[in-house]
Amino acid sequence: MLTMHNVGKIYQTDSVQTHALRDFSLTVNEGEFIAVTGPSGSGKTTFLNIAGLLEPFTSGQYTLDGIDIGGLSDNQRADIRNQKIGYIFQGFNLIPDLNIYENVEVPLRYRGVPAKERKVRILECLEQVGLASRARHLPQQLSGGQQQRVAIARALAGKPRFLLADEPTGNLDTLMARQVMELLEEINQNGATIVMVTHDPELARRAPRNIQVVDGELADLTFYQGKPATPASAPEKSAHESVVGG
Amino acid sequence: MFLHYIDLSIRSIKSTPVISVLMVFAIAIGIGLTMTSLSVFHMMSMDPIPHKSQAIHFPQLNIMDEGGEWHTDDNIPYQLTYQDAINLYNADADFPRSPSFRSGFSVHLNTPDVKPTMEPARLVYQEFFSIFERPFIFGAPWSKEEQQSKPYVVVISESINNRLFNGQNSVGKSIYLDNKSYRIVGVVEDWDHHIKYYDLNNGAFNSPEKLYVPFSIAPLEEIGTWGNTNGWKHETLNGYQSLLQSELVWVQFWVQLNTAAEKEAFSALIMAYMEDQQSKGRFNRDNLQYALRNVTQWLKYNQVVSEDNRILVGLSFMFLLVCVANILGLLLAKFLKRAPEVGVRRALGASKKHIFAQHIVEVSVIGLAGGILGIVIAQLGLWGVRTTNRYYEALATMDVSLLLAAPTIALMASFIAGLYPAWLVCRTQPAIYLKSQ
Repeated sequence: MLTMHNVGKIYQTDSVQTHALRDFSLTVNEGEFIAVTGPSGSGKTTFLNIAGLLEPFTSGQYTLDGIDIGGLSDNQRADIRNQKIGYIFQGFNLIPDLNIYENVEVPLRYRGVPAKERKVRILECLEQVGLASRARHLPQQLSGGQQQRVAIARALAGKPRFLLADEPTGNLDTLMARQVMELLEEINQNGATIVMVTHDPELARRAPRNIQVVDGELADLTFYQGKPATPASAPEKSAHESVVGG
Repeated sequence: MFLHYIDLSIRSIKSTPVISVLMVFAIAIGIGLTMTSLSVFHMMSMDPIPHKSQAIHFPQLNIMDEGGEWHTDDNIPYQLTYQDAINLYNADADFPRSPSFRSGFSVHLNTPDVKPTMEPARLVYQEFFSIFERPFIFGAPWSKEEQQSKPYVVVISESINNRLFNGQNSVGKSIYLDNKSYRIVGVVEDWDHHIKYYDLNNGAFNSPEKLYVPFSIAPLEEIGTWGNTNGWKHETLNGYQSLLQSELVWVQFWVQLNTAAEKEAFSALIMAYMEDQQSKGRFNRDNLQYALRNVTQWLKYNQVVSEDNRILVGLSFMFLLVCVANILGLLLAKFLKRAPEVGVRRALGASKKHIFAQHIVEVSVIGLAGGILGIVIAQLGLWGVRTTNRYYEALATMDVSLLLAAPTIALMASFIAGLYPAWLVCRTQPAIYLKSQ
């Protein structure tokens, strides 16, 4: 599904070069649910942005669904984002002027989905996150948890095969965080590949596979085989071996 | 998608009402002023008789002796002498033509009920009506015979007919012009022209005459012109008859020449006439000189649209440019504030083209609103011109083409203003804003 090989990302200012990612290599298979952890500023979000085609990388090779991303134009990347990738953000990032229905509709409009089909899909997704009755509400009329569920519905509306979540529960209380996590697990069970960045070790443990990013490098990689486990019990592998081994 | 963008634009305008209203007003004021000056310029420069302007011609003769100077570009007097006008009219040729000059009469019915009013009149021969296609409501022009032997006939305008005869058919009735009774032979529609192209002597934008009497009345009643009379040499005039025989120029002359061949034939006629006159002691010059201009050429020759008018239009467009610059600044502020939302849209699959189109449509909606408001402001401006200067009354109007041009110019102006902000916002890197929102 996703293969990064020696991907590097350097942020350059006049006087400073910052290596956000160094020789980052990773393979994510179809249907996986991966939690990405690491300290603040380690490069988790940069990895997620590159994986989600939201920013270009400086070196290395990245293929998504067999497509070499490095050679794509801005418009081609926008197309792939629209067709294959769904995003869930920590801050929900709903458009305040649009109601819930219209927010979920945004990616479908850019995809050119006909109005009738849009309606069916939107209501289906809102139903899935339990917010069909709030379709005409504005984002600010909903709680944080509800807004995040709308964001998930928006990410799902385009039926993406690849879902990227950046701290999806970061702004939610424990109960709501659990509900959102359960929703993501359900989505994963339905076939979507999920890569989730989180600071919460408990949430990370619920993901079948964990990777840790430190100083822009893949530092640790742990398998939990779908059940809660301590990091210490996971098999020890080097980052590169893990990538190759999947 | 276009309708969706319009919907988004209206929402955006509603969500930022102050800045949006400022932009609409900026473009409206710019369009209002531009359209006011452009309307006047457009009316001034439009062809007054488009289907015939190439056929109707004004002949000019250089009557001056060698060394004489006139203030025209080609050194030929603007008007003709009475004798030349009469001779050219009486020449043996089939081209419809007529001498003409503006005068005026006290008009009354010789009854105490109706107060006399001073009305401008035009002295013409019957061909004038066909050359300039004056539509008759009642009756017809006087006949050739009438203008030669029974010239006390008159064609009145619709407004005079309405005032004196309540709009009824007045043909056959009499009215008094000064102290003489004239029989009404026809009633013509009021001449609703923007440019008084058939007589530029009293001002190119003056009002039309309301009465037409035969040119042959002039010597009988010794009717003087209300226009300019100019001379090129010292002459002592002893009465009206000496004016008619003088070298003073005060008569206009129009001839209809439908083809190049006809123009050539009439040119030959003029040349033959001048040679004949030269043999009789006039036109003492080495090279006989004349001009034969059609209506379009005549208006240009007389500089009906002055340089001042062009400068005014240029200045108003520069003002519009200042408005565009202001709108550009406001749009930059508005669009860049929206960069986080654009980041989300980009992340969700919007291409740069989508984002650019969305913002350009929003700018166009603002431009269109400004254009429509600009028409209202332009109408107020034109009303101001009309009420403060009656001379420009006929010009200070906006025709359909300019009504359509106003929103088009507004759209173009707003498009230009929005181009850079829309381009800038469509280059938003989504990743920058997604985390920070």
